[in-house]
Amino acid sequence: MICEDEDEHFVALFFSVSHVMKAEKILQKSDIPFKMIPVPKTISTDCGVCIKFEMQLVERIRSLLDGAVEIKEIIRYC
Amino acid sequence: MKTIIDARGLACPQPVILVKNNMKDFSEIEVLVDNETALENIKRLAGSSGYNFSYEKSGDSFRINLIRENNQTSSGEEAFSPSCPGVKSVVVISSDMMGNGDVDLGRLLMKAFIHTVTTLENFPEKIIFYNSGVLLTADGSGVNDDIDLLAEKGCEILICGTCVNYYNIKDKIKTGTISNMYDIANSMNSAGRIMKP
Repeated sequence: MICEDEDEHFVALFFSVSHVMKAEKILQKSDIPFKMIPVPKTISTDCGVCIKFEMQLVERIRSLLDGAVEIKEIIRYC
Repeated sequence: MKTIIDARGLACPQPVILVKNNMKDFSEIEVLVDNETALENIKRLAGSSGYNFSYEKSGDSFRINLIRENNQTSSGEEAFSPSCPGVKSVVVISSDMMGNGDVDLGRLLMKAFIHTVTTLENFPEKIIFYNSGVLLTADGSGVNDDIDLLAEKGCEILICGTCVNYYNIKDKIKTGTISNMYDIANSMNSAGRIMKP
């Protein structure tokens, strides 16, 4: 997938909707900008919600969720 | 008496409405249309109004012939609802949750829904927010960028003023028109289609 630089994002996928909701609650307490979006059809046709964020935030997101919510996968998405 | 109508280039449902209006005065109508939706609508109208329907394809158009059947008078009053596949929809957001059930799940689904609306092919002409739905239009709701994008792409954003007042979020609304019950009821009443998650 080719992205324009400014459009480059990651999405974090989780094992269940409950996991996503837990992750959302944790991230809301931080000042990190993120967005809840439906899992893009190009990634999976399952009905699901994931967390979209800017590329440079990936390590901060990992460390905030570390030990609290298990991330299934982080995928590049634009 | 016969008339000829050129309905090519007209948006649905105009071709069939034109034909219907001419049925009062003409027993024979020739219509030119350029799409199958108009063809099908006129065929259904003919069936319900006592007109014999036939057509031939000529190039990219259809030449339709309608002839009033004997002993039939067109009432012109019967209910006929044209079907237009591309009609614009109005999205009604009556809550900050999608569906009933778990509150957190409902809120999550609603965010995903609003985001998805921005990507719809048949783009809605309006989106109306009322009751706790107005909370989505307030700064920090998590869908502000989606609502901005909807507005940018030409979707009218109507926000219930009474509700904004009740939830006391007037200062937090950046995008959209603070609206009233008259506009909201009128928008719903004149909607081609209502989409309510």
